[in-house]
Amino acid sequence: MAGILDFAPAIVLLPFVSFLVALAVGDRLPKGGALAGIAATAGSLLLAAATFLTVSGGQTYNATIYTWAEGLNAVDLSFGLLIDPLSAMMLLIVTLIAFLVHVFSLGYMNDEGETGLPRYYAGLGLFTASMLGFVVANNLLMAFMFFELVGLCSYLLIGFHFREPGPPSAAKKAFLVTRFGDYFFLVGVVAVFATFGTAAFAGDGSFPVLAEAALNGEAGSVTTFGFAPQTWFTIVGLLILGGVIGKSAQFPLHTWLPDAMEGPTPVSALIHAATMVAAGVYLVARMYGFYALSPNALAIIAFVGGFTALFAATMGVVKREIKQVLAYSTISQYGYMMLGLGGGGYVAATFHLMTHAFFKALLFLGAGSVIIAMHHNENMWDMGGLKDKMPVTYYTFLSGSLALAGIVPFAGFWSKDEVLYETLIHGLGGNPILLGAYAMGLLAVFFTGFYTFRMVFLTFHGNPRSQTARDPHGVGWNVKAPLVVLGVLAATAGLVNMVPVEKLLGIKGIDFLHQWLDGGYASLTAHHYGELIPYSSSYIGSEATTVALGAGISLGLALAGAGLAYLLYDVPEPIRHTDRLGRIKTLLYNNYYQDEYQVWLANGVTRPVARAANKFDGGIVDGVVNGVSSVSLFSGSRIRRIQTGVVSNYAALLTLGLTALLVAFGLLGGWFV
Amino acid sequence: MVPPEYYLLLSAAVFCIGLFGILTRRNALLILMSVELMMNAANINLVAFSYVWGNVTGQTFGLFVMALAAAEVAIGIGIVLVLYRNFDGVDVTEATTMRW
Amino acid sequence: MIIEALIAVTFLAALVVFVAPDEYAGRLAAALSALPVLGSLWMWAQYDASGNALLGGSIAFETDFVWLTLGSLDLHWFVGVDGISLPLVVLTTILSTLAIISAWTPISERQSQFYGLMLFMEANLLGVFTALDFFAWFVFWEAVLVPMYFLIGVWGGPNRRYAAIKFFVYTNVASLVMFIGFIALVFGLGDSVSSMRLPEIAQALRAGELAGFAGLNAGMLKTVAFVAMFLGFAVKVPVAPLHTWLPDAHVEAPTPVSVMLAGVLLKMGTYALLRFNFTMMPDVATALVVPIAGIAVISVIYGALLALAQQDLKRIVAYSSVSSMGYVILGLVAYTTYGVGGATFQMIAHGLISGLMFMAVGVIYNTTHTRMVGDMSGIADRMPVTAGIFVAGAFGYMGLPLMAGFAGEFFIFKGSFASTVHSGMPLFTAAAMFGIVIVAGYLLFAMQRTLFGPFSFDGDYEITTAPMQDVAPLAVLLLLVIVLGVAPDLFFGMIQDAVNPILTGGGL
Repeated sequence: MAGILDFAPAIVLLPFVSFLVALAVGDRLPKGGALAGIAATAGSLLLAAATFLTVSGGQTYNATIYTWAEGLNAVDLSFGLLIDPLSAMMLLIVTLIAFLVHVFSLGYMNDEGETGLPRYYAGLGLFTASMLGFVVANNLLMAFMFFELVGLCSYLLIGFHFREPGPPSAAKKAFLVTRFGDYFFLVGVVAVFATFGTAAFAGDGSFPVLAEAALNGEAGSVTTFGFAPQTWFTIVGLLILGGVIGKSAQFPLHTWLPDAMEGPTPVSALIHAATMVAAGVYLVARMYGFYALSPNALAIIAFVGGFTALFAATMGVVKREIKQVLAYSTISQYGYMMLGLGGGGYVAATFHLMTHAFFKALLFLGAGSVIIAMHHNENMWDMGGLKDKMPVTYYTFLSGSLALAGIVPFAGFWSKDEVLYETLIHGLGGNPILLGAYAMGLLAVFFTGFYTFRMVFLTFHGNPRSQTARDPHGVGWNVKAPLVVLGVLAATAGLVNMVPVEKLLGIKGIDFLHQWLDGGYASLTAHHYGELIPYSSSYIGSEATTVALGAGISLGLALAGAGLAYLLYDVPEPIRHTDRLGRIKTLLYNNYYQDEYQVWLANGVTRPVARAANKFDGGIVDGVVNGVSSVSLFSGSRIRRIQTGVVSNYAALLTLGLTALLVAFGLLGGWFV
Repeated sequence: MVPPEYYLLLSAAVFCIGLFGILTRRNALLILMSVELMMNAANINLVAFSYVWGNVTGQTFGLFVMALAAAEVAIGIGIVLVLYRNFDGVDVTEATTMRW
Repeated sequence: MIIEALIAVTFLAALVVFVAPDEYAGRLAAALSALPVLGSLWMWAQYDASGNALLGGSIAFETDFVWLTLGSLDLHWFVGVDGISLPLVVLTTILSTLAIISAWTPISERQSQFYGLMLFMEANLLGVFTALDFFAWFVFWEAVLVPMYFLIGVWGGPNRRYAAIKFFVYTNVASLVMFIGFIALVFGLGDSVSSMRLPEIAQALRAGELAGFAGLNAGMLKTVAFVAMFLGFAVKVPVAPLHTWLPDAHVEAPTPVSVMLAGVLLKMGTYALLRFNFTMMPDVATALVVPIAGIAVISVIYGALLALAQQDLKRIVAYSSVSSMGYVILGLVAYTTYGVGGATFQMIAHGLISGLMFMAVGVIYNTTHTRMVGDMSGIADRMPVTAGIFVAGAFGYMGLPLMAGFAGEFFIFKGSFASTVHSGMPLFTAAAMFGIVIVAGYLLFAMQRTLFGPFSFDGDYEITTAPMQDVAPLAVLLLLVIVLGVAPDLFFGMIQDAVNPILTGGGL
């Protein structure tokens, strides 16, 4: 094994050490432990980069490093590292974003005089470590464990400002809603163990490989609980998907994510771009070999993804707070990734995961910069005209927005286009569900363009609409530097995988990401997945026409959305055009009343049921117990009346008793016969 | 010799007188005396059967019971004395603090 | 002889503390209770036995001699540990010491009696977990109730007499039912056993040497005895619907007593279920799998729902114990290595975590003198360390990975989902697993209301950081929970070793 890959555990452990340092001695360190965090994530970043280079040299790593529970006559449960092109890429993204977020936090938290910084940096460190542990996991159980730790960290960080009423509630909701999804995930993990006897992702004995063999009719040690293998694998896949839907905030478990904006903005950046939310999609990509075996599961993933993309985009249109718009855009963008995965575009979805990580981190950090400037006022209607006062933020934010809206040649365009393209050709290949999902994804492009540029124009263009907007607070280098790095990446990251250019101009070999994800373990390559997916492709005219048509339509829609926003909002004094939507706006502004029904499920159903159970328990179950005791006490209180205290009565009773006994014996013994 | 039935009749009569005394008297001392009567009724039985069977065990038991009765009277009188002290009399129906 | 020494030292410590002056009874009790801790850790380090003590495995630290002869049955003094009982012994000693330390602040009256009774209870608990002869075991089993009765009845809350009597009568009646069941088995075995040593009885039962008794044929007798013993032990566990003594006892008991009650006393029930019902009569257990697994699922879900409806922090934790112990039953009935092994591991994990939670609630109560969720909010502002440990403990209870609770629960789920004793086991498992969502619900709600949000408190007490002596036991427990969560093999290896013989033969 390669030297550098043996150090891969350190990528995970370094942020963990920074967590311990910040927790233990953070209050005695300068900057409240920030420097330890920065050093640790920088170290991780360097190691991840080295890992990335090593993997690009064709090396991979898959080994158990710690046996968590050794089974006697049963399977071992272990922790291991799986370093292949997918995880190497993800490592790089996560460490980079985490590093930048740590740096940004210097400006957002330290310079703003926040208290509780050690707790904050400890949380960030653990968050990063958990996510990295999840990324490198070589089996489903380890993935689940770190998945849960990610959830814990999100709870701690979203609820960072625990003295206010909002954040603890949002943190609770985030954990509870994702926990609901994780329940299904855990059942899925257990089912995978029960079915295959292993939960390894890679290798000959890994569960996707075993599942494939079982479907090919090869007799293996696969238990399917009386179902046909195909059915059972779909059930297991959907169970695991529950966790994905929770963490990646897909409909109907997306409700926690907008509330999670209560957390500090850098945390939002981390959650949305690189850690928690990305975890769900990454999991599907990680075990894509398993999902690719099940057409039904794929169709459901695609449909949920497409629906979520559209559904969330519409809500983003009417929001007032800058972070709320970004939150709904996150939900929507992860919908695209799910659409890509479900639509058979493994590379496309992974590509979007990468570009989205860059531009969404950028947008959140940019929003953070704006929020610093606005003295923590997040309402876009109080902003305006910030463009001239904070040019670095403006131009980087614009770069991110162009990427989010999917305008050529920014990163988002290439990846979103490929997602849609893959869905389209597989849908045309005879799958109406995919076509439906494609249509929703396409429609969402328009809304994305609109809400993105509505946000940009309201924030940066026009006249300042408040005193703080006229005289914003300046931001330091530690805010600008991460923005610049991400701004460049958001503009250029798409160039690594210009499939439309390749297809249209016939330049071979510029789809670097495709080549990259074709490396590593044979059962985990994009090529292998391409063979597994149950879809056939079909084109409108030729392949090149389809590519051009798809890209043209989506670009056109994005431009149309952006253009509409330009017309309506790029004016000195914009007015609230969305009010014209009337009741639709109310519906959208209240998120289709999704929160209401979930709160109703918790407060209106579960709690009354619990109270009823409590009443039942106190009344009936305990009532029986107390009833038994009452009966004995009552009968005792009656029977003891024969204890009159008068000796003569006792003597009489004695005599009567003796007589009765004698008579009884006599009758039974036959003395009187 | 006197047939054993006579002894038994005597014993039963004495026993019944004792029992009657216990059940009807309210004076603790009288009850104690009635108890003595009943015990001696048993004694008569013991001695009579011993005599009939020609076995001294019964007579020995009779002696035992007499010793026992003496001891019992000692305790009984003690109780009666305490009763008198605490309830200003020896009426057993007055001393009912030990009921339920 | 280490086991005798352990028990004897603890009894002596109880006597010494009982007559010691109140001023330093607490310190003395803690110091003396450190001895059994060291002893049990030494046993753990020296442990080298293998197999199940009841089924012919080697028994560690064994002593066996005839104590007295009762008709055709010899009564033995027979003690020893295997991989199932040793972790429980370690749990008992550690938790007792920590509970004693946690009593320093809240207990201010009759201190020497309090600590003496605590040590007396610990000694009996050690006896329960080490005795391998039924007679001695039963004596210890019953003797545990006595100090517990007084600890609740004397030092408890306003309704303590009701709670203490309910606890005592309920569990004692249950013991009677269990005792009848077991004695019926011994009579049914007749001359095929010469003593009431548990290994002898277990092996005879598994070898099918049971004859009929009292008009019942062997099969019926076994089933009746199984049900009687199951009911007897189930009260102690407790499983729904035999659980109602538990919340009352917990609410009235002072914190350290709650810690012992939830942490160790409940484990007596599951330990006995494993030792008697599931080791001796696996065929009956597998025949009755549907009702037992059903009871387990009901305990999990119903207990969690009840916890959701409570306003008293202690009641919340008490009902959640019902829920957690339901998992143990589920693991036991699964009859797989991970199921039964996980159940045993969960006993330890739940002991530590519920102890932690009760202590944390106790620390808050020491300061605020209230446990009602509605009476306080934002306590984390004034008691940051306690709140931090409370949060950590709560997440442990929710089954956060790398903490002991997750290990136990996951082992159980894994084992019971794959169980072949009944085709419905995956469904039972999935249903029981929903408990992890409800447990998160009520703990998160409770934390949000009490610990977080703007600080407010209605009482007259000043809310300040808890003293070191209150926080230290919490920190130790939290550390143990994490260590066991990261490295469950510290116990899980020996547990599996002792559990595996149960799963083979005997109708399985």
